[in-house]
Amino acid sequence: MSEKGTQDKTELVRLKSTGELRITMDAYFTRLKKAAETRNRKIAWCTSVGPAELLYSMGFEVYFPENHGAMLGAGKNADKYIPTAVAHGYSPDICSYLTSDIGAFLQNETPLQKSGFSSVPRPDILVYNTNQCREVEDWFNFYARHFNVPVVGIHTPLNIKDLNPEIIKSVEDQYHRIIPELEKVAEHKFDMDRFRETVGLSHDGCVLWKQVLQKAKHIPSPINFFDSAIHMGPIVVMRGTQHAVDYYKILLAELEERIKNNISAVPAERFRIYWEGMPLWYKLSSMAKLFAKLDTCIVASTYCNSWVFDDLDSANPFESSALAYSKLFIVRSDTVKEKVLEQLLHEFSVQGIIYHDSKTCARNSNNRFGLQNRLFKQTGIPYLEINGDLNDPRCYSEEQSIIAIETFIEQLEAKM
Amino acid sequence: MYRLGIDLGSSYTKGVLVDENNRMAAFHCVKTGYNFNKAAEKIISHFAESYEIVYPAYTCGYGREEIKVPFVSNSELIALAKAVYEIYQTSCSIIDIGGQDTKFIQVNALGQVDKFKMNRKCAAGTGSFLEEIAFRLDVTPEEFTEFAKEATQEVKINSYCTVFAISEIIGMIKTGATLANIIIGIYNSIILRSVELSLVEDHLVITGGLPAMHPTIVGLFKERYPDSDSPEHAQFLAAYGCVLLNNHNYQQGGVNESS
Repeated sequence: MSEKGTQDKTELVRLKSTGELRITMDAYFTRLKKAAETRNRKIAWCTSVGPAELLYSMGFEVYFPENHGAMLGAGKNADKYIPTAVAHGYSPDICSYLTSDIGAFLQNETPLQKSGFSSVPRPDILVYNTNQCREVEDWFNFYARHFNVPVVGIHTPLNIKDLNPEIIKSVEDQYHRIIPELEKVAEHKFDMDRFRETVGLSHDGCVLWKQVLQKAKHIPSPINFFDSAIHMGPIVVMRGTQHAVDYYKILLAELEERIKNNISAVPAERFRIYWEGMPLWYKLSSMAKLFAKLDTCIVASTYCNSWVFDDLDSANPFESSALAYSKLFIVRSDTVKEKVLEQLLHEFSVQGIIYHDSKTCARNSNNRFGLQNRLFKQTGIPYLEINGDLNDPRCYSEEQSIIAIETFIEQLEAKM
Repeated sequence: MYRLGIDLGSSYTKGVLVDENNRMAAFHCVKTGYNFNKAAEKIISHFAESYEIVYPAYTCGYGREEIKVPFVSNSELIALAKAVYEIYQTSCSIIDIGGQDTKFIQVNALGQVDKFKMNRKCAAGTGSFLEEIAFRLDVTPEEFTEFAKEATQEVKINSYCTVFAISEIIGMIKTGATLANIIIGIYNSIILRSVELSLVEDHLVITGGLPAMHPTIVGLFKERYPDSDSPEHAQFLAAYGCVLLNNHNYQQGGVNESS
């Protein structure tokens, strides 16, 4: 319930590391821009949970179209571009990262132009892994055709229940199989020592990122989902580099300091929620304020946890890469997902779950095959489903969702 | 002295006065239009002619924070659950069909909301769906009820989408289906969209503007769920619940100053 004139609780406590995050991300884009302008280094485009380590180890600058898609969403511009992609035959029902990214490209616009890019950096090669969805393959094929450059991919089985040695071997073999094409474009040979080193750095970055996320186990939590969705930038685009490792040491130290000084992400945390599904990039800030107003911290999420590849092992870089990138949540069966979620709900002292059914992202909408009911039966933890989309604001009814979220928190409160 | 509950919905604004014994004493409903505050003012001035109102008002609905008199706002779902529990005093499943939203609420034996679900971002299954079809067919809600009495069999409407449903209905008219049978088909289409929100686990209570204006739909629900009914003043229950939720703020004779 709210009364007119209630104290404004929406003043968010900003992480000091945000300044360092900006410097780290700016430096990444500066390297990309230099490569795009001078062609001093080859540029590979990679999917967000693709073989980034292999590409960094071979000296590529690596650009991630999904990161670009999220930028379009967060900039509230996706709906300006999606219709262009739709007019070119891409359905509005498929991934809105894809449709907004391709639409923006066809309109020759990118938020990177604000940083001095003339366009998105021209690829020398595109590399995908279908572990997250089939869309990435079609998405990369569009650009491969446009730029007339090679595209190579790893095809991971979907809905994996038992991650058996045959699956890992198959993915590992595909890693080996794409190397000759990468060597041809890079114009030098693959270096095993360099790959080991990159996988080691990726592992270290992932472990630090995991430690960052796990700080939210503390009650009250020093970090929430809306912070993590922004601060995950380096683990997505600089996984396998020292830059990511350096950044997460800084962020981790700040969170430890916050815990020591009893500073929480939501000043008056009373409710702890798990977020299942994609963020609504165009509503990140208003949602952060809404939950803060409701004294609610979203302490954990499937999305942010998806970049924890702590199985990576420099002693065994190929096999461990195959394992890590086939073990991630999105590519697993509901049976496995239920166990993972149950564990996380317990570890983070969660009181309620919000499932975001994202219209154009079936694989990140885990409430479509009854999982939400089964998990409720197992845990007794109440849940709420909201309908929206990661990038396309036309799929989201804000008023209806605010009512649903406020009601959900009142529902939890009544049972306290 | 009467307390005022107002449900500022997308289509209609519903006001109810509640007496000192927590009983609903007076009702008034106006079209919401484009200005929530104006709709609320109409309700207030209507009541003010005959009753003395004590403020704050208790509000819910899309316009719950858009009025100019002192108010305390509430979730319309929690308010509705509260009112239904006040009437039935037992666990129940609620289906509320309003102008823009259809809601399912499961209330437990203690009167708490165990779970709830709202329709997807789509008019199908809501009052808007029916209003749009009525407009296209040039039939009033009252005529809907009259026509429905003459139905001999149900015509099945398959389309999710309002526009497609209208095309489908026009096709049916061309092939000789009667308006009465089509109306039953439209009602059943709304019922199907609402019952897919969740499993009905208990006595089913049907509320909201649509069953209040189209009583035939309550009978059709009963054919599927014999253990169901729609209470009196079904359209005003969320507004009533707003007042009940705030009983702790109220002592006989006025607002508890310490709260």
